[in-house]
Amino acid sequence: MKYTQWLLLAGAVMLIVPLSLRAADMKVIANPSVSASAVSADDLKDVFLENKDSLGGSHVDPVLEKGGPAHEAFLKVLGKSDAALQTYYRSLVFSGKGSMPKALASDAEVAAWVAKTKGAVGYVSGDASAPGTKVLEVK
Amino acid sequence: MKNMLCKGIAAAGFLALASTIGLHAQEFRVFSRTVQVHGFGTQGFVHTGENNWLTMNTTNVGSGEFTDFGANATVPLFDKVRVGAQIYEHNVGQLGKWHPQLDWASADYKFKTWLSFRGGKVKTAMGLYNDTQDMDSLHVFALLPQSVYPIDMRDATLAHLGGDLYGTIKPEKKLGSFGYTLYGGDRRDSIYGGYPYLLQIHGISMQQYGGPVMGGDLRWNTPVKGFTAGTSYVYEIITGTGQLNPSIALGGPNIVVPYKEWSNNDFMNQYYGTWSSRSGKLRLDSEYRRYWRDQDIFSGQFWVTTDVRSWYVAGSYGINKWLEVGSYYSYFTNNWNCDVPGQIPAPSASSPDRHVYDKAVTARINLKNYWYAKVEGHFMDGYAGFMYPDGFYPQVNPQGLKPNTNGVVVRTGMYF
Repeated sequence: MKYTQWLLLAGAVMLIVPLSLRAADMKVIANPSVSASAVSADDLKDVFLENKDSLGGSHVDPVLEKGGPAHEAFLKVLGKSDAALQTYYRSLVFSGKGSMPKALASDAEVAAWVAKTKGAVGYVSGDASAPGTKVLEVK
Repeated sequence: MKNMLCKGIAAAGFLALASTIGLHAQEFRVFSRTVQVHGFGTQGFVHTGENNWLTMNTTNVGSGEFTDFGANATVPLFDKVRVGAQIYEHNVGQLGKWHPQLDWASADYKFKTWLSFRGGKVKTAMGLYNDTQDMDSLHVFALLPQSVYPIDMRDATLAHLGGDLYGTIKPEKKLGSFGYTLYGGDRRDSIYGGYPYLLQIHGISMQQYGGPVMGGDLRWNTPVKGFTAGTSYVYEIITGTGQLNPSIALGGPNIVVPYKEWSNNDFMNQYYGTWSSRSGKLRLDSEYRRYWRDQDIFSGQFWVTTDVRSWYVAGSYGINKWLEVGSYYSYFTNNWNCDVPGQIPAPSASSPDRHVYDKAVTARINLKNYWYAKVEGHFMDGYAGFMYPDGFYPQVNPQGLKPNTNGVVVRTGMYF
């Protein structure tokens, strides 16, 4: 194999591996009261940036994780760094144009909150157990 | 003096309380609804080498009369309805004077993504930072570019008592999205703002200032990642009433008579753009604002037109999670005209009494996730005269103004 082909192969691997890791790192979960079973990345972003408050006709409330691999993966969906996201939420809170979403410390806490709270939508690690919730497919 | 000391202690108490409660948003339940409580406070210090700035005595030692704090509570009443209110208090030299204000108090009904309603006292959507200009924790700079967001004229654009229609429209994914706000209402300025303070040199004691406003903001979240562009417009019908001592500016008798002034044509245009890198570390902002006012003053005895043109270019970069640096160039010119005897504008905007050009460099240090400090240098050319507030006031510069002013601003703040 020529040198350029090796470079192309390496480039393709570098592109594909992070994308697949991103998908495996995080899954979106919702309370069973949420009627939608899938969500587009754009709608998901709008829900978490408080531009949109319903999915499939059901009212939804976003729940964040404070840190960890699932949070890092989710930030890539939002296209914001954690600092930029916190600044964004504070701009809503202090200008009267939104509120601070609930932020919990771990996958287990997020899963438990989503399971018991009508309309809650959150995210947890891809391999985390989240009983009592439904997984939303991100299209 | 004792009163000021007490209030300073109150501000320090707020910051101490904020740090004591761990700087986390406080939540409690009322009738099965979750009430969120948030707050913030800042303390600044300003030193300048030449002219006193922003109504403070900033030369010599400098001034620490630069404090603000606020707190709000919000609660979702129903799935689509949220209500809340925020109290704000500030003291910057002769501005604010420790008189607490209802910053905003509104009910918000999210009907659809593309159509929602907000009513009450509402922060006005205009440009990139109008509605968050007081929220120091959100910004890298200790002072936003004063040409477009003057701290002494914050009241003029900050909020309106009325209603907003707002929403986001996504015609096609390849076009990005459009956010809009249309509003109407009534603007009421504090009598402790820069304009009433400036008028005191003419013997005018303003008792109320404001009137109907209507306008809109349209911002395009472009398909180019991180790039947003927008435009804002506001039209106002402003009236001020108060008292006048004609002996001070008009050479009349030393008596107090009723005073009135009103705008015949008063509007503001703003154009803006912002871009941030995917990592969020690099951010570039630019805004242009034109403010035009055609006004009858001294109860209709004279007229004055004010044509303020201002813009800035700003950039900031987050070196790591602890340190951000930034710089801006801020441009302000005032092209005024009037028929008041003896008041003739300088023929060229290059005259220091027609402009303020400010170069600023800043460093923000994030000490904790709720506490930060900023150090900022300002290098200003011009003072823009006394026909319109521009940061430099004759009351605190009785010796006259020098053409250039260099200064340093240190500011620290907390939020929860």
